[in-house]
Amino acid sequence: MAKTIEQIYEEALREIKSASNIESIKTLSIRYLGRKGVITHFLRNISNLPLEKRADVGKRANDVKKSLDKAFNQALKALETKSLQKDYKIDVSLPGRAIQQGFLHPITQITWQICKILEKIGFDIAEGPEVETDHYNFEALNIPKNHPAREMQDTFYVSDNIVLRTHTSSIQVRIMEKLTPPVRIIAPGKVYRCDSDLTHTPMFHQVEGLMVDEGISFGDLKGILTTFIHHIFDEKTTLRFRPSFFPFTEPSAEVDIRCVMCRGKGCRVCSHTGWLEIIGAGMVHPAVFENVGYDTTRYTGLAFGMGVERIAMLKYGIDDIRKFFENDLRFLRQF
Amino acid sequence: MKVSLSWLNDYIPIDKESYSSIADALTMVGLEVDSITDRYDYLDRIIVGRILNIKPHPNAEKLKVCDVDIGNRVIQVVCGAPNIHEDMVAPVALPGTRFPDGPLLEKGRIRNEISEGMLCSEAELGLGSDRSGVMILDQKQLIGNKLAKALELSDVVFEIDLTPNRPDCLSIIGIAREIAAIQQTTIKYPETSLSDSSNRISDFTSITIKAPDLCPRYAARLVFDINIAPSPFWLQDRLMSVGLRPINNIVDITNFVLMETGQPLHAFDFDRLSDHRIVVRQAKKGETFITLDKKEHLLTPDMLMICDGEKPVALAGIMGGRNSEVTESTTRVLIESAYFTPVGIRKTSKKLGINSESSHRFERGVDPEGIITALNRAAQLMSELGKGSLIEGIIDKYSKVINARAITLNVGDTNRLLGTSFDYDEIKNLLKSIEFNVEKTGNDGLVVIPPSFRVDIARQVDLMEEIARLSGYNNIPTTYPLIPAKARQPEKQFNLRNRLKRIMAGFGFTETINYSFINRSSCDSLRLESADQRRNMVDILNPLTEEQAVMRTSLIPGLLETIHRNIAKQIKSLRLFEVGKIYISRGKDNLPEEIEMIAGILTGSWADASWHSKEIGCNFFDIKGVVEELLNRLKIDHIKFTCMPDNSCTYTRPGHTAQIFQEKKFIGMAGEIHPQVLRNFDLKQTAFIFELDLNVISDFISETIRSKPIPKFPSISRDITVIIDKDLESSKLLEIIKELGEELIENFYLFDVFEGDTIPQNKKSISLRITYRSKHKTLEDNEVNYIHKNITDRLLKKFDASLPT
Repeated sequence: MAKTIEQIYEEALREIKSASNIESIKTLSIRYLGRKGVITHFLRNISNLPLEKRADVGKRANDVKKSLDKAFNQALKALETKSLQKDYKIDVSLPGRAIQQGFLHPITQITWQICKILEKIGFDIAEGPEVETDHYNFEALNIPKNHPAREMQDTFYVSDNIVLRTHTSSIQVRIMEKLTPPVRIIAPGKVYRCDSDLTHTPMFHQVEGLMVDEGISFGDLKGILTTFIHHIFDEKTTLRFRPSFFPFTEPSAEVDIRCVMCRGKGCRVCSHTGWLEIIGAGMVHPAVFENVGYDTTRYTGLAFGMGVERIAMLKYGIDDIRKFFENDLRFLRQF
Repeated sequence: MKVSLSWLNDYIPIDKESYSSIADALTMVGLEVDSITDRYDYLDRIIVGRILNIKPHPNAEKLKVCDVDIGNRVIQVVCGAPNIHEDMVAPVALPGTRFPDGPLLEKGRIRNEISEGMLCSEAELGLGSDRSGVMILDQKQLIGNKLAKALELSDVVFEIDLTPNRPDCLSIIGIAREIAAIQQTTIKYPETSLSDSSNRISDFTSITIKAPDLCPRYAARLVFDINIAPSPFWLQDRLMSVGLRPINNIVDITNFVLMETGQPLHAFDFDRLSDHRIVVRQAKKGETFITLDKKEHLLTPDMLMICDGEKPVALAGIMGGRNSEVTESTTRVLIESAYFTPVGIRKTSKKLGINSESSHRFERGVDPEGIITALNRAAQLMSELGKGSLIEGIIDKYSKVINARAITLNVGDTNRLLGTSFDYDEIKNLLKSIEFNVEKTGNDGLVVIPPSFRVDIARQVDLMEEIARLSGYNNIPTTYPLIPAKARQPEKQFNLRNRLKRIMAGFGFTETINYSFINRSSCDSLRLESADQRRNMVDILNPLTEEQAVMRTSLIPGLLETIHRNIAKQIKSLRLFEVGKIYISRGKDNLPEEIEMIAGILTGSWADASWHSKEIGCNFFDIKGVVEELLNRLKIDHIKFTCMPDNSCTYTRPGHTAQIFQEKKFIGMAGEIHPQVLRNFDLKQTAFIFELDLNVISDFISETIRSKPIPKFPSISRDITVIIDKDLESSKLLEIIKELGEELIENFYLFDVFEGDTIPQNKKSISLRITYRSKHKTLEDNEVNYIHKNITDRLLKKFDASLPT
């Protein structure tokens, strides 16, 4: 026998170490471990050894085979990595090739959030005209001409009987004329009032809600709006319901939340009251039902309305409502 | 509505320390306290000072120059009061003080001598009636202390934001009643002790109501031998506590009773009334009238006038007239206390643009039964404070009696609406606490008579609201409705709009929301033809500004203005879009057509210069690509772009504008903004736009998607290059291929256009790539060659085209 297994092993390791490229490692690997390789040949010739030596030498030869296999793999990996880096190394800190996604207007985003929550509760979406008759915007909602309640909203007039809708409540009667209870809709959209300052723009957005069925109660109104506020703000938001007045609801309520800016300590945003008006609401006034021919002894309903800009301003900390309609890209890109 | 705690305290015991909990409680019963201030806040810059020495004023005989110690320093004050002396302790106003009767104190010179403050009299400070000299303070007062603190002056004032349904709370007593209900105490009403043992009044005057519908009740009293003078301080103090300025005893008394009871009163100079009588009638056509504020008004017959024997003397319920007002020489007055119909007052006050304390209350509804109480209260005060003699008797013309309403209330209905479980006694007690009369009827019912001042209570549901608000909305259990698990499809447009927004944002376009109103001149800026339907604009009768005077008939002006604003802020590359309505008028008395549109705008560079590429500008094909992919995403097929005929779109550049069709239906346009329009919007860089009509495209959107099998066999691609006339639209070639309807053609597209050099003038070469594939087998070359040759021949023949040499 020419060489011992130890000699073969040492020689193989030496050759692996001195191999400088992937090809020579592969050739070496075949020369030692291939079908006609040195180790294979050695193992085949073990039967020529004396019987008592065969077991020990055989075991050792198999160990060497495993070790060499491992050594070849390691050497191969090291050379591969080296060769990938060798061609060129890039400056990964250079800026990437730009991909631009556009931005959705914050009013769209908040409207979607509002609608999503209310749709989960079970409301369907409805829409109506923005230029509206005096009838749907006022009269049918129990706000007759020459009623002081008209002063609550500064109205843009198109003619004596046509106005720019001052609230999305104008949808209520249109919907109830079309459907029989149960009715449950929300109506997002633009509304208009002639007023312009830090907190008022002549155009803004509202979401109106209306639910009519047998057995709808003021307690249900509280439940729906509590759920809504806990979703649109957070679970910890404290809210309160206080009496108010809208001609088309009775009882009427204003829903306040603890000021999100100062957490109720009092600040400029909440006029130092610690509370923010967020939703106008109430139980549908029977006069409104009478206008659409609903049976007031059978059905009750709840209604509510909220300003999208107001919620967006509170959620995003925006202090000037006019920014929404200036469309300065530096503003729009923040949302 | 302002109320001071000191005044409230006249009718109900008020714990001044707990003012903030009173305010909270009022807010929670529906009387929202908007602000809490102290009425003596204006004394903030009034300091206790000591006069150290007094010198004569070098330039004025009657003035003195004083050195005054104000604690932290000594200031020089010029003063003309006769009672000042050295070592005197007196209030000193520092610059910045706003006095109750109006003027603002500024640092300055008086006859060339510096005056750094002012020594004040009681009257100047609104603390008394003495104006004869500087107010003398106790020697023991701490110098430098604030006067309000030194004299312990404090009176909390609530500003209450009242809803229009609660005219009964437009008075101190009205607010006191609510507090009484909250605190479960009773209110002490002011007492009058008039005893009429005769009806002498009818010897002097008479009242005739000719318009009982507008004036159901009119009452009057006479007070003679009045001495017009300033009111006593307590009365002035009451008025000042709620921000009213005292005038004279007669005017002050009418204001005082107005604020106390909510009943507007008017005092006429009896000697200026012709025939010494009152006639309540509607105005005559063309009649004019000058009100107290010296303004002349043209009257119309729907207006109610208070007249004397010959002429109008007051605009009923709104404002008195110059011709009958109380003056310094007045000695005899007629006091009016009336109930005017709310709608009538509101119509007139709106028409004439007058909003007075009086009209504010009448148009909301005063207490028809409170008229006599208020009249008596005023008459008694006038005879006492004006040292006048009351003429015995009262005239009370109550031609149309306003009856108390009895309302039946069902306990079960109440609990069902509110989600509560009140019993009869709880409801009774709540309603009784605000002076409602309650009787039990049957098992589950109550008969309720609201007091006459609660003009807002008309039906059962109004009572339910009273019960809810008095028990506290926050005490009503929170519940959740049980509703069927049913859903309706939203309107098609709603989903489409939201999809469009998402797709556009994905394309790198940012959403804008512009005002729905535009300037009337925007149509001219867009160069719209006179017959263009977008000239049919909806006018706003009362716009805020010229820029917002009409409803928009195009989204383009808003987008152009938006890019102008951004470019002015150095943001020059913009991709913006808007989804919104335009409004086309159908005549003044009809609702306009509201058409929802999407428009996009592109300006500046498509990609900025960067380390790996140069700046890429944008052109028509960038905006076209956006529209194509947008429609592709909506799965709207058979889209065709053709050249917009000249003059069909006035705001885009001729030859650089496409009209977009789905089959034969026009759905929108894309193009470059016309250079003149750019100038009209003050833009120095070009912009590309597209517009699509949502109503139209929503018709082409299919709700269903069918999946197709993925091809199993390989495809073969072949190119064709043909040379055609330069003016020929390349899409015509593609249409021909499409018309063939060859089923082995999987798809085809244009991949190159070339002009010049080897191509003859007036010609261009077009290269198309066609991909062939069979669903059933691998295609052979000769099969494809045959079809491909067919197509080539057809193109050559149809367009008189040639192959490249």
